[in-house]
Amino acid sequence: MQHPVLACRKVSRLYGARASEFVTDGHLTTDNVQTLQEAGITPAIFNVDLDIERGKTFVIMGLSGSGKSTLLRCLAGLTPPSAGKILFESKNLFEFSEADLIQIHRHQMGMVFQHFALLPHLTVLGNVAFPLEIQGRPRAEREEIAQRMIRLVGLEGREHRFPAQLSGGQQQRVGIARSLAGDPDVWFLDEPFSALDPLIRREMQAEVIRLQGMLKKTIVFITHDFEEAVRVADRIAIMKDGQVEQVGTAEELLVSPATDYVRAFTRDAPRAHILTARSIMTTSPSAGPFGGEVNATDRVISFARELDASSLPLAVIENNEIIGAIDRTMLLDILIGPETQAVGA
Amino acid sequence: MKKASALPAGVVFGKPVNLRHLPWLIIVILSVILAELPRTVFPRWVQKYPTGWRLSLADWISAFMHWLTVDAHLGPLTVSGFTRALSFLLDLPLQLASMVLATGVLKGQGSEAVMLFPPVPWFALIIAIAALSWTLRGWRLAVGMTIGFLYLAVFGQWTSAMVTLASVLVAALLSAAGGLALGLLCVRSATFGRLLSPLLDVAQTMPVFAYLLPMLILFGFGPVSAMIATVIYAIPPMVRVTVVAIQGVPDELRSLGSMTGCTRRQMTWRILLPTALPGLMVGVNQVIMLSLNVVIIASMIGAGGLGWDVLGALRRLDIGGGLEAGLAITVLAVMLDRFAQALVPDARRSGPSGSRSHHRVIAGALALAGLLWIAAALWPAIAHYPESARLSTGPFWNDLVSWINIHFHDPLDVIKTFMLLHVLMPVKRFMLALPWPWVVTVVTLAGLWMGGIRLALTVGLMCGFMAVVGLWQPAMITLYLCGVSVVIAMLLGVPVGVIATQRPWLMKSVEVFIDTLQTLPAFVYLIPIVMLFRVGDFTAMIGIVLYAIAPAIRYTAHGISHVPESLIEAGTMTGCTRGQILRRIRLPHALPDMLLGLNQTILLALSMLVITALVGTRDLGQVTYAALSKADVGQGVVAGLCVAFIGMISDRFIRQAIRQPGS
Amino acid sequence: MIRNLLCISLLGGLCLMGRSAIAAPESHDPIKITLNDWTGELITAHIMGDILKKAGYNIDYVPADYLAQFSGMENGDLTVAPEVWATTAQEALQAAVKTGKVEDLGSSGMQAREEWWFPEYMKEKCPGLPNWEALKKCGEVFSTPETDPKGRYLGGPSTWGGHDEERIEALDLPFEVVHAGTDAALFAELKSAYERKAPIILWIYTPHWVPIKYKGEFVEFPRYEPGCYEDPGWGINKDAKYDCGKPYGPIWKAVWSGMKDKWPGAYAIIKNYKFDNKTMGELDARVDLNGEKVEDVAQDWVNKHEDVWKAWLSK
Repeated sequence: MQHPVLACRKVSRLYGARASEFVTDGHLTTDNVQTLQEAGITPAIFNVDLDIERGKTFVIMGLSGSGKSTLLRCLAGLTPPSAGKILFESKNLFEFSEADLIQIHRHQMGMVFQHFALLPHLTVLGNVAFPLEIQGRPRAEREEIAQRMIRLVGLEGREHRFPAQLSGGQQQRVGIARSLAGDPDVWFLDEPFSALDPLIRREMQAEVIRLQGMLKKTIVFITHDFEEAVRVADRIAIMKDGQVEQVGTAEELLVSPATDYVRAFTRDAPRAHILTARSIMTTSPSAGPFGGEVNATDRVISFARELDASSLPLAVIENNEIIGAIDRTMLLDILIGPETQAVGA
Repeated sequence: MKKASALPAGVVFGKPVNLRHLPWLIIVILSVILAELPRTVFPRWVQKYPTGWRLSLADWISAFMHWLTVDAHLGPLTVSGFTRALSFLLDLPLQLASMVLATGVLKGQGSEAVMLFPPVPWFALIIAIAALSWTLRGWRLAVGMTIGFLYLAVFGQWTSAMVTLASVLVAALLSAAGGLALGLLCVRSATFGRLLSPLLDVAQTMPVFAYLLPMLILFGFGPVSAMIATVIYAIPPMVRVTVVAIQGVPDELRSLGSMTGCTRRQMTWRILLPTALPGLMVGVNQVIMLSLNVVIIASMIGAGGLGWDVLGALRRLDIGGGLEAGLAITVLAVMLDRFAQALVPDARRSGPSGSRSHHRVIAGALALAGLLWIAAALWPAIAHYPESARLSTGPFWNDLVSWINIHFHDPLDVIKTFMLLHVLMPVKRFMLALPWPWVVTVVTLAGLWMGGIRLALTVGLMCGFMAVVGLWQPAMITLYLCGVSVVIAMLLGVPVGVIATQRPWLMKSVEVFIDTLQTLPAFVYLIPIVMLFRVGDFTAMIGIVLYAIAPAIRYTAHGISHVPESLIEAGTMTGCTRGQILRRIRLPHALPDMLLGLNQTILLALSMLVITALVGTRDLGQVTYAALSKADVGQGVVAGLCVAFIGMISDRFIRQAIRQPGS
Repeated sequence: MIRNLLCISLLGGLCLMGRSAIAAPESHDPIKITLNDWTGELITAHIMGDILKKAGYNIDYVPADYLAQFSGMENGDLTVAPEVWATTAQEALQAAVKTGKVEDLGSSGMQAREEWWFPEYMKEKCPGLPNWEALKKCGEVFSTPETDPKGRYLGGPSTWGGHDEERIEALDLPFEVVHAGTDAALFAELKSAYERKAPIILWIYTPHWVPIKYKGEFVEFPRYEPGCYEDPGWGINKDAKYDCGKPYGPIWKAVWSGMKDKWPGAYAIIKNYKFDNKTMGELDARVDLNGEKVEDVAQDWVNKHEDVWKAWLSK
């Protein structure tokens, strides 16, 4: 298997006066969170292990205070972890020299910020060209690239505006264009849309999906909104109190939540958009007759009407074989939840 | 705090009194008793700090300064040799500026000097600056700058004003750049910041007279010393503002810097400084105002210019002349400030579209100014503003003061007498009667009560210092004079600030008024006040109040007008009347701002001491001034330190009070 | 072309020769003369400057505080302080001389007089003036709320010394001293009182424009003798010093001690410089009362009195 672009190995970040007492040689001396808390230490992240695969969108989600932003800062090489290793292309990110780290930031990473982080004294063009200016590229070249990026996010014609003259959505487009100007391998998005209105937010999510379709970057995306995570993610990590509760696809989280926390988190998710035929079918296939066929990987939403209209169950097909069946009652389960769960909740 | 508030409320004179305040009540009552007791009740050492216990710090400092300037070596170089070399270097930009603005390019020195090329003539400078202002901020600024310069030319202040402008320009640039550098160092290293902070406190509150002498010895008599003194006085706010502005840069922008791979230098110059610029300009404004504040004192040690004209005019009792020269200083201050603020690009204005025509205009105007300059070199006669076209309002002001003096002296005298007999003299007597160990104890206890052992030690030691160096009495007079003045300034300033916020037009005129008061050399209005109220504490008090009232007004207005709109609406919805909104919402919310204003008022009052010494007070300002006249370096520094300590004690207390609202 | 150039340089040379015809300046570095902030000093400074210029020296005027100027001279930053009054700067001058870097070039011939002074209209309110004994009965005439029932005597800045507190004690006068911080404040009060014909008695010194502009007289105290300030047994009060008027004092000239070697000629001129109170009073009045410029008044005197100052050069 190809090695992950970024990986965490037992990464912890501790805050507190006595934090250093519990770290030797880059490893925590205790596996018990309580021991730390009793010593007055807050573990912002604790023993996190993650693999982020190339070309995929990895979402880290959790509520505020869950440690997701700290984890992002560690992954991006902004904050060193107190213990553990961040591997970037299989090398410890924090063992690079300062100069090498600067080069990595310049050429291999880009970030979009929650509050846009636009420089108020620069125009749109100046902001987008800023990373290239820092790299010392000649003016003509950087302005040409910046123009291309501005077109990419649909802001052409506004190159000479200042950030204060733009709407929030437009500002974040500038942020996106800037983060892509250096042509990074890893693209970090730190709650990029949480400061925007819901309508604009959906538009921007679509924008990210569109860009990802074109650019195929490795994306690390932070959010506290599960719906948003579902829309953009290949894989999702759910964090709570500095620890990763579960990592998996949206469907995996929904179908087999590892903890109650994950279950609670995913309860109100748009199930029809997430679940595939495979995960809701009955595996004891009847011989038929079937009202139609669906692929095992099809999302429920894509065949829900067909199923609703059909009096017969649908056959679930994988590799031209029938591996299961779905009938209308299962649709109800998806919409209002399985019977047992509904009662339990 | 919690423990204290858990005490039951007591009842005094039929009114419920929070027992938390009881210790203070006891202290006040005890103080009054102690002050009223006949002095002979106390042992001798309590009545007056014994001379035998006195620390001869002043002598040590004098000896140290002597050693430093005569014997000390830095490698092969003597210290004074080193400072003289530094002084030579600092003189270069100064000479360049005065060459362009005031003296022209000279060959040779003194009376043998031959002017090879004249300084910029007034009309050329006006054209150049007006064109620049127009491109930077439009016609309003251009008209303003033109009017300002025309005032200087028409009222015959041009030559002196250019001398002052040259030296202030260089001093302000040095202060701004130096303050910025120090501020950045403070941000980078917290330790450095902690070490620098008390030094800044001292530099800000120590009267300039106190370090004038060492300055003269080390850097020589002349404009350079004046400039260094100016820089010392003006740099602290710049450092502080820089720290605040840089720390106020959002974390995200720093992260942006790291993520785009900024080196340290790029982070500073491309991210931190540009983003912090609007904040930094507040510091630049302070630097300019303070630099012009010391113009008078700087002129006493060789800077010449407008400050010298003010002194000379007042010495002749030419009040109008002094006022005109003083107003020229104000005009310079306002022009410098507005122009400096205009140099900051306005992010809200559209980009460089249309800038080509701007460029053409400015190029044309500069070329014209250059041509006129050359013309002035060829025909020197046109270079000067014609003397016959000069205006002077001097006689008017002289007559006005005389008229007021003759017709209103008696009613004014009644006010003065009342204040003297019922406020100033009793307070003075009270302060002087307090035994020094008692005051030191109370100050230390207050420190302990408010901020703990560290604060107690700091303020206690500072307070004790004044007794130990034998300056207790002048220190108490200082405290009394500044204390009464500050109370009056707050009593006048807070209502004015409150009223002004309700009426924008009033705010405008109040602002003009306090800006003028702050930049107009105090000496200009002190002499007419002397004519009306005679030499003495009352006159000094008016001077201090006039100078120190500005922050009282400004901070109150700021606090009152920056109450969140939602709070006001909440008040309206609960049915508050306007008065209730003011009393219940605006004032409590503005309290921290008002406390900051009080802090600034105290510091300004203390810095005014140097000037009031010139109209005959007997406080620490007088001690510093007298030390200067006796060339007693040590005594000057020690007295200056006492002034600084009074400022720092009040500063620490007020900051502590802001930190713990409700205590 | 070349001939033209030659001509010019010759002319230039002639000019130089013309300038140095009187005396060859030993150094072309500028001699720095301090400008203090009262008219008399400015006139003296400019007269000295003009004469030195005529003698071929290079002159620079530096505005300087009266008291701060001494440390300037000690460093050699300033060269000449034209007027150092025995009455106001004796201590500072002595301290400076003690460093060995400042030299006292002796009296300028002018006598500083300073004493208690009252406007003429006070003679009616306090009969017997200018005799000092009249003051014994006039305390209330001069009193103010702060000093009541004693009279208020406005002294000079406390830095001027003057022993007025001791004088009041020794002569048993019903007065209290209030110190003005600067002489600007001093004269501001006088002006104010004079305009209203209000009672005032204060410290005035001459040569100065004030006694020329305002009518009044000095109080006549028992005449000063050195014994009065040193020996309690002297004078009316056998147990106290200072039972007399203030001393008359010369106005000295002080220079940087390096001047002697650097510009010996100029040094000699300053040393020989002599003036008198009457002439200075007249010049003073021309500036302060008639509004003439200091530079013009000085120039005018130098032009008209060539015989006087020529003598200072030749010695």
